[in-house]
Amino acid sequence: MSDEEHHFESKADAGASKTYPQQAGTIRKNGYIVIKGRPCKVVEVSTSKTGKHGHAKCHFVGIDIFTGKKLEDIVPSSHNCDVPHVNRTDYQLIDISEDGFVSLLTESGNTKDDLRLPTDESLLGQIKGGFEEGKDLVVSVMSAMGEEQICALKDIGPKN
Amino acid sequence: MHQGYYQSMGAADMAQLQATMQAIELACNSIQMHTNPTAAEATLLSLSQSPRPYQACQFILENSQLPNARFQAAGAIRDAAIREWGFLEPNDRRGLISFCLCFIMKNANSPEGYVLVKVASVAAQLLKRGWLDFTAAEKEAFFHEVEQAVQGSHGLDVQFAGISFLESLVSEFSPSTSTAMGLPREFHEQCRISLEQDYMKAFYCWVQYAAFNVSDRIIGANSEIPEVKVCSAALRLMLQILNWDFRGKNSIENSKRGMDIFYDGMKQENDSLRRSECILVQPGPAWRDVLISSGHVGWLLNFYTALRQKFSCEGYWLDCPLAVSARKLIVQFCSLTGTIFPSDSGEMQRQHLLQMLAGIVQWIEPPDAVSKAIKSGKSESELLDGCRALMSMATVTTPLVFDELLKSLRPYGTITLLSALMCEVIKDLMENRTEEETWSWVARDILLDTWTTLLMQLDASGHKHSLPPEGISAAANLFALIVESELRAASASAFNDEDEYDYLQASIAAMDERLSSYALIARAAVGATIPLLKELFSERIMRLHQGRGTSDPTETLEELYSLLLITGHVLADEGQGETPLVPKEIESHYSNVTEVDKHPVIVLSGSIIRFAEESLDPELRRYFFSPRLMEAVVWFLARWSSTYLMPPGESGENKGGYENYNNTQHLRGQTTNALVSFFGENDQGKAVLDVIIRISLSTLVSYPGEKDLQALTCCQLLHGLVKQKNIICHLVTLDSWRDLATAFTNERVLFSLNAAHQRSLAQTLAVSASGMKTSEASNQYIKSLTSHMTSALVELSSKNDLKAIAQQPDIILLVSCLLERLRGVARASEPRTQKAIYEMGFLVMNPVLIFLQAYKDESVVVYLLLKFVTDWVDGQIIYLEAQETAAVVDFSMRLLQLYSSNNIGKISVSLSNSLRSEADAEKYKDLRALLQLLSNLCSKDLVDFASEPIETYGTNISQVVYTGLHIVTPLITMDLLKYPKLCHSYFSLLSHMLEVYPEIIAQLNVEACSHILGTLDFGLHHQDIEVVDLCLRALRALASHHYKDRGDGKVGLGSHATSYKDADGKFHEGILGQFLRSLLRLLLFEDYSTDLVSSGADALLPLILCEQSVYQNLANELIERQVNQTFRSRLTNAFQSLITSNNLSSTLDRMNYQRFRKNLLSFLIEVRGFLRTV
Repeated sequence: MSDEEHHFESKADAGASKTYPQQAGTIRKNGYIVIKGRPCKVVEVSTSKTGKHGHAKCHFVGIDIFTGKKLEDIVPSSHNCDVPHVNRTDYQLIDISEDGFVSLLTESGNTKDDLRLPTDESLLGQIKGGFEEGKDLVVSVMSAMGEEQICALKDIGPKN
Repeated sequence: MHQGYYQSMGAADMAQLQATMQAIELACNSIQMHTNPTAAEATLLSLSQSPRPYQACQFILENSQLPNARFQAAGAIRDAAIREWGFLEPNDRRGLISFCLCFIMKNANSPEGYVLVKVASVAAQLLKRGWLDFTAAEKEAFFHEVEQAVQGSHGLDVQFAGISFLESLVSEFSPSTSTAMGLPREFHEQCRISLEQDYMKAFYCWVQYAAFNVSDRIIGANSEIPEVKVCSAALRLMLQILNWDFRGKNSIENSKRGMDIFYDGMKQENDSLRRSECILVQPGPAWRDVLISSGHVGWLLNFYTALRQKFSCEGYWLDCPLAVSARKLIVQFCSLTGTIFPSDSGEMQRQHLLQMLAGIVQWIEPPDAVSKAIKSGKSESELLDGCRALMSMATVTTPLVFDELLKSLRPYGTITLLSALMCEVIKDLMENRTEEETWSWVARDILLDTWTTLLMQLDASGHKHSLPPEGISAAANLFALIVESELRAASASAFNDEDEYDYLQASIAAMDERLSSYALIARAAVGATIPLLKELFSERIMRLHQGRGTSDPTETLEELYSLLLITGHVLADEGQGETPLVPKEIESHYSNVTEVDKHPVIVLSGSIIRFAEESLDPELRRYFFSPRLMEAVVWFLARWSSTYLMPPGESGENKGGYENYNNTQHLRGQTTNALVSFFGENDQGKAVLDVIIRISLSTLVSYPGEKDLQALTCCQLLHGLVKQKNIICHLVTLDSWRDLATAFTNERVLFSLNAAHQRSLAQTLAVSASGMKTSEASNQYIKSLTSHMTSALVELSSKNDLKAIAQQPDIILLVSCLLERLRGVARASEPRTQKAIYEMGFLVMNPVLIFLQAYKDESVVVYLLLKFVTDWVDGQIIYLEAQETAAVVDFSMRLLQLYSSNNIGKISVSLSNSLRSEADAEKYKDLRALLQLLSNLCSKDLVDFASEPIETYGTNISQVVYTGLHIVTPLITMDLLKYPKLCHSYFSLLSHMLEVYPEIIAQLNVEACSHILGTLDFGLHHQDIEVVDLCLRALRALASHHYKDRGDGKVGLGSHATSYKDADGKFHEGILGQFLRSLLRLLLFEDYSTDLVSSGADALLPLILCEQSVYQNLANELIERQVNQTFRSRLTNAFQSLITSNNLSSTLDRMNYQRFRKNLLSFLIEVRGFLRTV
């Protein structure tokens, strides 16, 4: 692996919407894959052959990481698949506005106000409850292929 | 007599009984109609749980019109009597049994058979419960009635009822079918032995007599008569008795010594079951008169022959119950063996088998006619039972005796018949290739097992035995037909699409077994079969080359695939971890062939290797070598090379450990010459090895994405090669091996190998370092193999923009690949290369922590990081010097802390259920890896090769591991403990720690301590016996540590163990008191396996000793609750004698533990019965 092979831009959001080609045979369970234009997490991979003496093909079952929908695809295992660049960023939660948007503190000290509260009831409850109790909350935002969503929450202690 | 009993009762009591009956009938009806079943069940339960419900139950049995109510009443008698047995008067006990017996006799003609069966089984269970207490005369009294019934003096219905009672009795007394009674296993064992010794033969004689008496009438009748029912029941019972696991006299002596004969018996059973499905019948010499000399067998065979004539009559057919039972009994008689036959060098057994065979041969001869008849609609059961009988005979005789048997009846031997039969079956299989299991499938499997049984015996006898010439040619014919059928099947299925992949995966194991049996047959006739294989193989290869470019080779490819699998099985055995030897048949048959080019095995192997070599030519590869064919080639090379390639001891070394083959030793000397030395290190061995390596490299590079093929290459072929020391030292000198190593570090395409193969390949390459001449060279080799990986990781981890680029898929792929490879190398740790591998891990310590932070949300990478560290520590820890240990321990703790801070209090939520459970599973795997890491660290305290004690650098392993546990346990939620593997690792680590270092608990703070102890309490109530056992061991360790420490005037568990009142006046009980309460509750009121009683006792004793007053309080509490005076005094005595009888002292030594185990067992038997009653 020489240096030129991973020469990348260092802007934080560079490639956020990008996908990368990767040989189907190397994609494994719990990895990511693009199926029908959607970023998915692979929950099942199986291989079979096209006819007894043909070549191997991979059968993927993926779950859309944003919508939770199940998608499937079959690809010859020596061909390339698109793999999404899934990024997770942690922000400190500053505020919850009444119209369902959250206000987050970025690392550079600016605020990010374009994210909605999650629809998931338990996460929503945790965020609202924790925030009202005055806890210091950090939310993880998952982004891939131009979409963003709050995916996890961490309580880092009471607000000082 | 019972009627009179009721009449003497008052009217009020009668009304009470009527009311109970109505309530039960109502409940039964409502269960059947499914209206309010919970309430109905509660009613039924209250009957069986009420004290002494016998009168009501008997009343229902005799008076209810509803069969279900009678059924329930019988069950209630059983439940109540088993529970209350200990304090029933002897008269009541006998009364209940004779009531049940009378009931079945009196109602023998009742149409509700299931009620009778239930009552019979209740009688059998109660009889067994009291078996050891009843006197011989009392038992005699019960059995007198039964004997009268079975002999037929009260009519056919009663006769049938008597037989079915005996059936229940025998199955109740057989350990595998007995019902649990809450008694130790010794009890069941003693009953078993007693029944076998005193009654079994009598039972057999009774039913034999019964069957004999009715058989004439059956033969004389022209239609189905009631006697048929009795006769088939009698035959069934005889079969059941023959199936009994006879132990004979020896076992009785054993049983007095203890329980271990159980395990002994189990093992034997497993052995014989593995070899074949047939159960050996070994009743011992006492049975000779009944089974052999009485002419019983002759009668049975004649009876069945007479029955065959009647199959045209109404009510009789080939599969009617009577015929089926008779045939089963006949087959069972074929496996009669052991000391029942006198030691007359097998003469009497031969006579017996001959008699059996003469009867059975009518069912299977002539094979072609029988097969034709079945094809035109006749039932196949006679043929299948005939095959089973042959199988049984093959199991109890030697192949030679087996073959001779038929010769006194026919001009040919039994093996010839066996071969002819199997040929018919194979022909049928070839004609009707269907997916369903047909008769020929079943017959093929039985017959193959028969062959295997015969030929394995030849194999095991170790001498130069072989089949008689006629048998050899029979085997050769059969094998030729088998191969033909397999090849035909192959070409027919060549174009099938493998969509039913799962199904195929499942059948691969079955196919492997079948091929091994085929191989045994082939080896029995090596002289004919190996040339046949060679010929078939060359034919196919020629066809390929001729048709090149003009015709579709698929069919031929599939045939070659089959041939390679068959040939691999014939030529070589699977090693199963050992180095397999050249099969004896092959070795001895060619002992005289010295010319290399005429040795059929060399010629066959050579032609296959040459064919495999053609795959290196890109053009030929494209034409012939489909991934599937290549799989067979690689599989064959792996299997073949472990036997034939540079075998150990070839260079005149002493072959130690093969004493068994002393007789053939001089033979080996010669035969191995031609065959083994040809592929040995001084001849063609190196060249062949070179070819194999080049083929491996080409399959890895030229078949991208073919996982199965790559798995075979990495995990079987290459992995197998480096397992052999004698191969490794040649391996590292080959250019092709160096090419492989270079490709591994440089070729991009090898980065796209599947992760597991990546790891396996790294491990293989690292293992081969041990083939280097010096240890410096080995370490140098490892260094150059790993330097590209370590430096790439170090470089990547130090990039400023790591945080931004880390999440890119290509970087994730690169990091995972490198980690997998490092992990593979780490797993190859050996003393010789330990230094270099330690260096490798040391270099990436920091990067590992950086990546753990950068990838905290990328569970796949996190898991890899943890696994790498775990494996690396596992391979290194025992060799490390004190300073290195300190570094590794420090690193491990930082890793744990970082993991914990990234994950504690984190809630991930996803919209998808399956993603959520995936996330749980990932967490579970992480934690399991962390626990493994802690266990690995733990082992430093047990095995340590360092030159100075590790304490020199202030490392205290026990403290480290407790700190680790302290970090990890908060992450382990009760939900996660539902994963059985995690649960096991957690509790074994915990109980290990508490057993070895109980003193540390005292130093933990309240929160940490209560979490650990909370999980312990959770584990105590776990389903899994092993987990409970681990927790009990931990408890024992804790309590005994505390007790002994206190005895020495030390703190013991300190503040954790003391009870106190807090500021609010709330009472906090010490942990040992809590556990005493919880354990006692478990032992008295909950369901658990009796196996746990002894470890329960071991934990309970020290707990009681520590907390005497808590024990007294608990006992008083339970006694107070008891209203019934008798029970109350029994309970008081029981609690008293639990801690006093058997001279129990207050020390914790072995003797005392043993005494307490006995005390606890009798305590539980005494009081559990009534304490668990509501």
